[in-house]
Amino acid sequence: MFGKHKTDGELPLGLPQVLEEVVHRFKKREAIRFENRTYTYQEMDEESNKVAGGLASLGITKGDRVAMMLPNIPEFLFTFFGIQKLGAIAVPFNTMYKGREISFILQDSGAKAIVCLSNFSNLIQEIQRECPELKHIIITGQRTFVFVEPEGTVNIQMVFEKSKFESAEKVFYAMGEAMVDGFKKLGVEDAWYSHQGAIRASGKKLATLLLNEIENLYVANIVTYLQQMDTNPLFKVLYVPPEIKEKALEPMTSVKLETGKDVSLDEFQDIMVKSFSEKFAVNFEPGKLTRDELIAYEKNRALAGRI
Amino acid sequence: MAEKNTWRYIYNPDGDATDVVAYGASVAEGRIAGKYQLSTTLVPDTLIIQRSKEKGIIAGADVSVDKEAAASQKIKIARMARSGRNGARPIGTIQLSELTAKASRKFQAAEVDPDEPAVLIYTSGTTGNPKGAMITHRNFHFQTTSIVKGFIPFSHTDRVIGVLPLYHIYGLANSLISSIYYGACVVLMASYSPQGLLDTIDKHQATILPAIPSMYQLLLGIARIKSRSTKIPKSIKYCVSGGAPLPLAVIQDFAKAYETNIMEGYGLTESTSSVSINGVDGVYKEGSIGKAGQGVEMKVVDDDGKDVPNGTEGEIILKSTTIFKGYWNNKEATDQVLNSDGWFFTGDLGYRDDDGFFFITDRKKDIIISHGYNISPREVEEVLATHPKVSEAAVVNVPSQKGEETVTAFVVPKTAGDTENASTSADAPTARELVEFCELHLATYKRPKNFIIVDSLPKSATGKVLRKELRGNVEDQRLIDKKE
Repeated sequence: MFGKHKTDGELPLGLPQVLEEVVHRFKKREAIRFENRTYTYQEMDEESNKVAGGLASLGITKGDRVAMMLPNIPEFLFTFFGIQKLGAIAVPFNTMYKGREISFILQDSGAKAIVCLSNFSNLIQEIQRECPELKHIIITGQRTFVFVEPEGTVNIQMVFEKSKFESAEKVFYAMGEAMVDGFKKLGVEDAWYSHQGAIRASGKKLATLLLNEIENLYVANIVTYLQQMDTNPLFKVLYVPPEIKEKALEPMTSVKLETGKDVSLDEFQDIMVKSFSEKFAVNFEPGKLTRDELIAYEKNRALAGRI
Repeated sequence: MAEKNTWRYIYNPDGDATDVVAYGASVAEGRIAGKYQLSTTLVPDTLIIQRSKEKGIIAGADVSVDKEAAASQKIKIARMARSGRNGARPIGTIQLSELTAKASRKFQAAEVDPDEPAVLIYTSGTTGNPKGAMITHRNFHFQTTSIVKGFIPFSHTDRVIGVLPLYHIYGLANSLISSIYYGACVVLMASYSPQGLLDTIDKHQATILPAIPSMYQLLLGIARIKSRSTKIPKSIKYCVSGGAPLPLAVIQDFAKAYETNIMEGYGLTESTSSVSINGVDGVYKEGSIGKAGQGVEMKVVDDDGKDVPNGTEGEIILKSTTIFKGYWNNKEATDQVLNSDGWFFTGDLGYRDDDGFFFITDRKKDIIISHGYNISPREVEEVLATHPKVSEAAVVNVPSQKGEETVTAFVVPKTAGDTENASTSADAPTARELVEFCELHLATYKRPKNFIIVDSLPKSATGKVLRKELRGNVEDQRLIDKKE
C-alpha cells in the first residue's frame, strides 16, 4: 500500500514503515543514549509498539490526534513512534506552555489523549473541562518539583479513606470549596476553584491541588502561597535559560498580593482547619504521629534527604 | 459525603522540605500496613498543615538539581520516592508504564498515506491564535533524504546531540527523524545548560550538533575562558545553527576552538525545517542563509508575486516537497500563504545575490512604518548590537496609552544576567550613549525614540525574539480565567 512505496530504492515514505525498515537493518545498534541508559533500535521499536498497543487499547485509531507535552526523554521517542505506528497524528508542543496556550491546542486539534510529564497532570486536568475531546491523560516521568519557603508557602496534606467519598470529583470539589472558603475569609474575594487542580485569583495560581490514590486511600497535597516567593535561588539550583525563566513557572499570586495583608501561619491554619471541618463534615482533634508512623517517618525522611 | 467523624490534625510549623515528603508518606504507609497487619492502633484519617523553616525543593526522582548550588543557596532538597506500578497515582490519569505493561512488544504498523499529516505543529503568528501546521510523512522523507543529505552525510556511526526541543520542527526533523532515518544514535538532553552540553558532547564523543545561536555563543564562551581542566571536545564533524543569525566572529572563533565549521540553516515549521544552508563544504557568505537546499526552489518576488532581479529586495517564496499540507482546520490561513501553484510565501523579506546566496533583511510583518517611512528593525538591532556595551537588542513599535506608536529599542547590556553586576550598574549603556551612537550610525527616521534596558529578551524555543511580547499589548496566555 501507500506507506510502503519507496521513492528512490531507499527508504519507504511512511514513518511507521521507515522505522520498521531501519530497525530491520540496525537492530542491535544504539538508537538512544539518555543519562546512563542506552536503547538499541530493537528496544526502541518494542517500546514504541507497546505505546501503540496501549493507545489502541484506549480506542485511539488511525487519524486520531494524540498530544505530546514531553521534554527530550526516551518516552518522547517511544510515544512519537507509537503514535506513528497507529497511523495517528502526533501533536507535540512546548513543555513550557501554560493555561490557555495548551487549552487552545487541545481544542483545535481535537486530541483524544495527551502524553505528558506527571508534573503537568494537574495543569492538564484543570483545563480538561474546556476540551471535550480529551479523554485520556497519560503521564510519565517523575519531574514534579515544589518550592517551599518559610514566608511564602504552606503545605496542606490529607490522607483518608477513599470509601468516605462517592468519587474523586467530590473530593476535589470539597477541597476546592474548603480552600476558597478559607481564602475568602482571609480577604481574597475573587478566589475560585478551577477544575481539579488549582485555586486561582486574577487568573493566577493561589494554590495547587494534587490528589493521588494509593490502594484504599486518597492522599491530597496542597501548596498555597501566602506571600510572593523569591524564585531566584530556585533557578540557581535548577538551570533554566534566562530568556525562558518567566515561562518556566506558572504565574502565581499570593494572599499578600491579592489583599495586601500579612497573614500569620497561626491565623491561616485556624481558618483553614475550620473551613475543612465544615466542607468535609468532620471534627479535627490535634494529634501526633503514632509509634509505627514515627518509624516510617524516620525512614522516609532519610530517604528524602538522600539526594 | 461522610457522616461527621473525627480526623486527626497534625500541625508542624517548623519543619523542612523532607518533612513535607515524610509526613504524608508515613501516614499513608501506616494506614496501608495497618490494613494488612491488622494493627491494633488504627490510624485515623489525617490532616497535616506544615511550613518549612528554610528554603527547599521537593523534587521528583527524575528532576536534576545542582547539589553544590543547593548547598550554597541554603536550599534543602527533598526527593520524592520513585513511585512503582502500585504506587501513588494522580487521580484521573493513566501511567504510561501501566498502559504499556499490558501491551505486546509487537504491533502491526498501520499503512499510511504519505500525503496525510504525521504531525501537527502549532506555530504562533504575529497575530491571532496559533495554527496547526500539518507535516506529512512525505515532508519528513524529503527533508531527510534530499535536503539534509545535501549538507550532512548522516550515517549509522554518528552520535547526534538531541539538545534542541523535539517538540519543535527543527529538533524533530533534524535531530530526531534524520538520525533515525540513517540509523544514527541520538544523545538526548532533557534539560539544557551550557556546561551540560559541553560535557555531553565530550562524554559521548558526539559527531553532529544541531543547535541554536545562543548555544554556540555559550559554548564559545566556555572555550574562551577555559581553564586547563576544561577539555574542549574535538569530535564534532558537523554543526548546524538555525532559528536566528549568528555573528561572523562567533563562527570564526568557534571554528578555531572546536575545529569544526558551523553551517547556518534557514527554514520554517511550514517547510518541515531547513530549506537552505550556508557554509556547505566551507563555502560561506557572511550574513547569508545560503543557497537553496537540494530539491528546493527558492526565489524572491515583489508584492504582485513577480520575480525580482538579483540584489533586489522582495519576499522569499518556496516550492519544495517539504512544504506542508496546510493549517489544520484553517483553510483561510492556508490560502494566505500557499498559492495554487504550490508556492509558499514565507513572510521573510530578502534578496538573492548573483551566486545564488539568499540574504534575509527582515520579517515582512515586523517592518515598522513610522511617519511614512519603512524601518527595518533588524537593521537597527544590528547597529545597536555593535555598541561595545550591548549584547543584543530588539526594536519594536510600542503603542502608548494615547494610541500613538513609538519606535522603542529593548537593549540587553553585556553585563546582564550577571547578578553581581546588575544591568543598572555603570557597565550598562545609558540612554544618552545609545542616542549618540544611533546618531552616528543611523538615518534620523530609523533612530529609536525610546530605549529600555532589560536583562533578557523574551524568546521562543529556538531563540527567535518574541516581538509581540515586547509590544506589551498581548494577553497573558498563561492565565486561566473563571468562566461562568
